Amino acid sequence: MVQAEDLKRELGKIIITDPVMMKPYATDASYFEGVMPLAVAIPENVEQVKQIMSYCSRNSIRVVARGGGTSLTGSSVPTENSLLLSMARFDRIIEVKPEDRYAIVEPGVRLDYLNEQLSDIGFFYPPDPASSIAATVGGSISTNAGGLRASMYGTTKNWILGLEVVLPNGDLIRTGGKVLKRTAGYDLTSLFVGAEGTLGIITRATLKIWPKPEATGRILAYYRDIETIGQAISEMKRIGITPLIAEFLDRITMDSLRDSRGIKFPEDANYMLIIDVASEEVAIEGEMEKARKVLEKYNPTELEVTRDRERMEKIYEARKGAYSSLLNQRKSMSEKVVIGDIVVPASHLPEALKEASAKLQEHNVKAALFGHIADGNIHANIYADLSDEKNMSDVEAFQRDLAMISIKHGGSVSAEHGIGLEKKELLEMEHSVNENREALDLMKSIRKIFDPSGILNRGKMFD
Amino acid sequence: MLEGEASKCISCGFCESVCPTLPDSGYSLSRGARGRVILGRNLAENEMEKTSVKSFYDSFYSCLDCFACLQVCPAGVNAGKVSQLARELIVENTSPGERDPVAEMIVNVTEATMNPLGQGKAMASWSEGLDFDRDSEYLLYTGNMYQLMSYTGPLNSMRSRIGPTMSGAMARLVASRPSLSSFMSMQNDRRMAERMNGVLRTIYSLLRKAGISVWYLGDSEPYPGTFINDLGYSEKFRKYARRVYQILKSTGKKIIVVDPHTYDLLTNAYPEVLPGYDLEVIHYLDLIKNIEMKKSSMNVALHEPCHLVLRNPQKNAPREIMEKSFMIHLSKRSGKRTMCCGGPTELLFPDLSEKISERRFNDLRSLGAERIVTACPICFANLNRDGTVMEIAELIASNLM
Repeated sequence: MVQAEDLKRELGKIIITDPVMMKPYATDASYFEGVMPLAVAIPENVEQVKQIMSYCSRNSIRVVARGGGTSLTGSSVPTENSLLLSMARFDRIIEVKPEDRYAIVEPGVRLDYLNEQLSDIGFFYPPDPASSIAATVGGSISTNAGGLRASMYGTTKNWILGLEVVLPNGDLIRTGGKVLKRTAGYDLTSLFVGAEGTLGIITRATLKIWPKPEATGRILAYYRDIETIGQAISEMKRIGITPLIAEFLDRITMDSLRDSRGIKFPEDANYMLIIDVASEEVAIEGEMEKARKVLEKYNPTELEVTRDRERMEKIYEARKGAYSSLLNQRKSMSEKVVIGDIVVPASHLPEALKEASAKLQEHNVKAALFGHIADGNIHANIYADLSDEKNMSDVEAFQRDLAMISIKHGGSVSAEHGIGLEKKELLEMEHSVNENREALDLMKSIRKIFDPSGILNRGKMFD
Repeated sequence: MLEGEASKCISCGFCESVCPTLPDSGYSLSRGARGRVILGRNLAENEMEKTSVKSFYDSFYSCLDCFACLQVCPAGVNAGKVSQLARELIVENTSPGERDPVAEMIVNVTEATMNPLGQGKAMASWSEGLDFDRDSEYLLYTGNMYQLMSYTGPLNSMRSRIGPTMSGAMARLVASRPSLSSFMSMQNDRRMAERMNGVLRTIYSLLRKAGISVWYLGDSEPYPGTFINDLGYSEKFRKYARRVYQILKSTGKKIIVVDPHTYDLLTNAYPEVLPGYDLEVIHYLDLIKNIEMKKSSMNVALHEPCHLVLRNPQKNAPREIMEKSFMIHLSKRSGKRTMCCGGPTELLFPDLSEKISERRFNDLRSLGAERIVTACPICFANLNRDGTVMEIAELIASNLM
């Protein structure tokens, strides 16, 4: 068996084998505690990535790629005898061409940093997972990250024009390119989006970029029940309003934000709705008024319309930090917050939420519910005590029931967090219940074509 | 305490995205904020028994203590504090011979002479010819920080010239006989000394202009012990802080400080280790905020010192003052997101410090302003690369009504 020192000898100073230096790589943002990797590689250029993959392929060494380490499903934690491949040093923005609507970047570029730079020229890259301050381009492509703006702009898959990828055997391929249209054989780019590092190592990405909305405004509306919110959103979409952001938060989430960020919410509301409207400056007031009228019609307990940047920023940051605020409400440090991430057709969301609430009671599990209402994405943030076997078993049972709810409504067990270690069983379940095992088998076959010896992120997504 | 702080971490990695040492250490996670918290938790829980605490040294001693991590942490974890507590644990669990010889030297010389380089007498040269008012309600306490800047460059050059083995041996020798520190008087950059002395004289003048007279302790002014605290010598720091406190307290005056590090130490660190601490400490910029200045057409890139604005988030006197008179240009990393100049790690990781300061300088330079201005001697010394960097006191003084 290849030892860590062999790797160091072969690959040189980009390899770390010191246990103290490797320890931080054993975890990501999920609750999974990985094992210590055999070694950590932090390559600086594509040639080194090719060399690493070729060596690992020849010696059957497993490789786990890591971007910003923000995965919530354990997709970047190392498994037994694996080399952890950090793409952090690939941190350059290579080219930005607003007139052609693309930017070429390296996978280690963090999303917020990219958007800061694009903002200088009035452009942006829309996918914005809540972890965008730390999440990288490579990681977010690999999990097909969504985020708050998915309501208007879709998820990462809608914004990737092309990729440069090192395959498990060390070969380099390029897919797609700088153009917005392309019909040249199979769309290999799409295969790598959401592949969680199981097919190849992304070394460069061509992203579609877009002009920033000229003006935005925000409406905060509070309601007693989620059905009303669902009806309001449905009507909004029916009459042609596509919100930039449409988020809902339940009472538990509001209370956690009150405690952690000092934001006051009306006491008599059970749900909060955040609607952002984007438009040209001349039309923004009119567009906001149209949205406000719809929301008013469904009798909110309170409604606030704002274009104040500071106020908008405060609410946006609070929503993005909702998971963290919930974490601060843990009873003990052994308690974790497991994020459920299901999706149903948007119009089914109120019904799905009602069913999820009933299942919470049935399993005696505590969870806060929030999510992206316009695209039917529910995040059930489940308090789970890793040291309590009974509780963990209840949490797992609830997760399975929640997954079943999504499948029953024609949705999916994973909306934007990927599969990783957490949802392997649920992925199998989704395909079985839908009598669609062949599709999963096809995925497995595709993986085998790219990675015949199974060295890339082995044990993740599916076996 | 270490376990308490580190165990709050949810490992989201937000802190890594703003930690200056991570990219400039080649993105090795152990030299970034999240890695330090993970290792801090391990250190506290004794998980890595086979590894001696010394092997954690690089991770925690390379931390700049800038607190950029704290500003973005959704769980309120202070990775800077984790590093500080871990350094204390390392010092507690190692013998002097196992510790960094330069750190040992600095601590021993400070204890013996109340100056980290044994140069106490030279610290008051800036004040020659100035009038000080024994009856003033204020004591001007420089903390020796501006004065020490003229020694750091030559000493680092010498260390690099003679190599780590020789400089380690010299440091050990001086650590065992602090009186030998007198040789460091030769390692003084005269131009930097003149500039820094000039800044102190300007601060004095600005205070006078604002109608404030001050008393000054001259060459008996003690160094506040910043290094002793930062290097993790907690017990020695507690005792040393008591000595300094007694000297300052005996004057019966309010204390005016002039640099962010001394301000932070006296307002945040001293109260933690000295029960009943009751000094009234004021930063001089807060006293001259309302001084009348002309409107200037000068474009200025403002570098806000982390030890001022990130450790005391309610305060940003440099920006308040600059905004009144100058066209200020701010980096994307400003305010709560300001980036450290790399200076705090210069003593033990000079190469890392150099990379960080170069990155910050380039960031500020790219704003296209005529001048870069800062309000900290360490930032000044680290960023002063092309002659465009000014101390805030110099700029204010050049623009008075």
